[in-house]
Amino acid sequence: MIRLLKLEYLKNLNYVPFKVFAGLYFVILVVLLFIGLIDFDIFGQTINLKEQGMYDFPGVWNFTTYTVALLKIFLGCIIVFSICQEFSNRMFKQNVIDGLSREEFIASKLLTILVFTAFSTFLVFVIAFILGKSYSTTQDSHLIFKEVYFVFNYFLKLLTFFSFLMFLSVLFRKSIFVFLGFFMVWFAEKIIGGIEHISIIKNVNDIEREKFLNTHTFYSDFLPLESMSRLIPSPLVRTKLAQIFGIEFKFVYPWESVIACLICATVFIVGSYWILKRKDW
Amino acid sequence: MEKILEVKNLTKKFKHIAVNNISFDVEKGNVYGLLGPNGSGKSTTFGMLLSTINPTSGSWKWFGKEGTDTNTLKRIGAIIEQPNFYPYLSAEKNLEIVAEIKGAPKSRIDAVLEEVNLLDRKKDAFKTYSLGMKQRLAIASALLANPEVLILDEPTNGLDPEGIIQIREIINKIAKSGTTIIVASHLLDEIEKICSHVIVLKQGTAIYSGSVDAMSNTKGFFELKADNIMELVSVLESFGIFSSVKEMDHLIIAQISTDISASELNKKLFENGISLSHLQKKRESLETQFLELVKQNNL
Repeated sequence: MIRLLKLEYLKNLNYVPFKVFAGLYFVILVVLLFIGLIDFDIFGQTINLKEQGMYDFPGVWNFTTYTVALLKIFLGCIIVFSICQEFSNRMFKQNVIDGLSREEFIASKLLTILVFTAFSTFLVFVIAFILGKSYSTTQDSHLIFKEVYFVFNYFLKLLTFFSFLMFLSVLFRKSIFVFLGFFMVWFAEKIIGGIEHISIIKNVNDIEREKFLNTHTFYSDFLPLESMSRLIPSPLVRTKLAQIFGIEFKFVYPWESVIACLICATVFIVGSYWILKRKDW
Repeated sequence: MEKILEVKNLTKKFKHIAVNNISFDVEKGNVYGLLGPNGSGKSTTFGMLLSTINPTSGSWKWFGKEGTDTNTLKRIGAIIEQPNFYPYLSAEKNLEIVAEIKGAPKSRIDAVLEEVNLLDRKKDAFKTYSLGMKQRLAIASALLANPEVLILDEPTNGLDPEGIIQIREIINKIAKSGTTIIVASHLLDEIEKICSHVIVLKQGTAIYSGSVDAMSNTKGFFELKADNIMELVSVLESFGIFSSVKEMDHLIIAQISTDISASELNKKLFENGISLSHLQKKRESLETQFLELVKQNNL
């Protein structure tokens, strides 16, 4: 394992763009966590996310993980380019000829993903904790870690997302096709979800409709990208502003989505290996 | 003789048959040439033996062990088709990666770079290298883990004459050290100059496998010239030791059927009153032998 990490270190960290963009990602991530301290001017109204409860325990875990998860595509690009260049430079083939097994190749890429995901998660945890300690209106000890599971969900979300990108990279081997493929899957999920919702809802009367939507489990909820997004719900409904409008925040821990993500990640990793094994290089 | 590689009935079908049921053995310490025109299945054969291409059928043994696993690959040094390296990394960093994969000591890096004359450029990025330097770096990389077998696929492809000579010298040096070498090429004189054994491929089929010397079953021919051509021809025919006597470009070509040395022939002709202005015993070049083989095996 140390050997594989060293290999990835040699391949990636000597590549200046990789180093620069990976560093930039973490800088932006940290900056984004402090976004609540800034006053926004929206339609003449001053909005300050801190005032809206962004750093209040226990919601701080939801707010911070949701916000920085938006950055994952940035890190995703770095990972996609790093994997695709192995194929475009014919280095995967050369690595295999030199004596690196296909298992080791996948494991080394997975390790890179794990290192980035773990470090990103660690940063979010530490900084969110400090921000909560500094700015939260409540410091009740039982509230502090009440929703800390969002940090785990963030880890899983990133891991599944990057496994998905790794799979697409191995499948298409050209970064432009990886992104096209990604958007295709995204559209496809939205369309499938839309069709399922419409076809089921038309049998439900108007009065029960809202309640039904909140309780019914749709098959399309288990699609990869949808499962990932369900791990961390949008915290906008938790803002004080939303509460004024009478929107209530209801959240049940998404066990189904956690399991769906674990299965998806496994399928993507095994699938990547299968492609490497089956294809002639 | 110890067998490094035994290939049995190896076949690969893509949409067409790329390699068709080929079998050959590679013995330790020899230099083997895999000879064939472009598209005859040389690279596909190497791809299968190096585990990058899944075979359709057939089997092979490296060092007496079935198939190709990562430990086997670490005992082989191979360059295929073109030199593959991370373009943004220096030669040194690239070789560090190879050393890490093969489990070779880092101290070997400078040694192999020295061997291919690239030591002073080791800090430069691979993409700044000329084709000849890239090819030499590929050989350095293949030599890194002190391989028992060296596989070279078209090592002089696209090089200028100087580059070709440099590569040939390196290969000869390696061959002298006792390393088994398998080199694929479509360049006949290339193979002729460095190989002791040859496997000839044509459209995926091995049409010959054996030593370069035994490739042609003819005993060679004489090139002769004398003032009186007509007389020379009739005297040569009267000896009965030539399968044919023909005139070609003002030279008499006499195909040998019963072996005779040049001095012996010279003596006999002199006794018959013929003094030669030119006499040379020759073997068919690999090129003629190759073309002959390909013609015989017209599929």
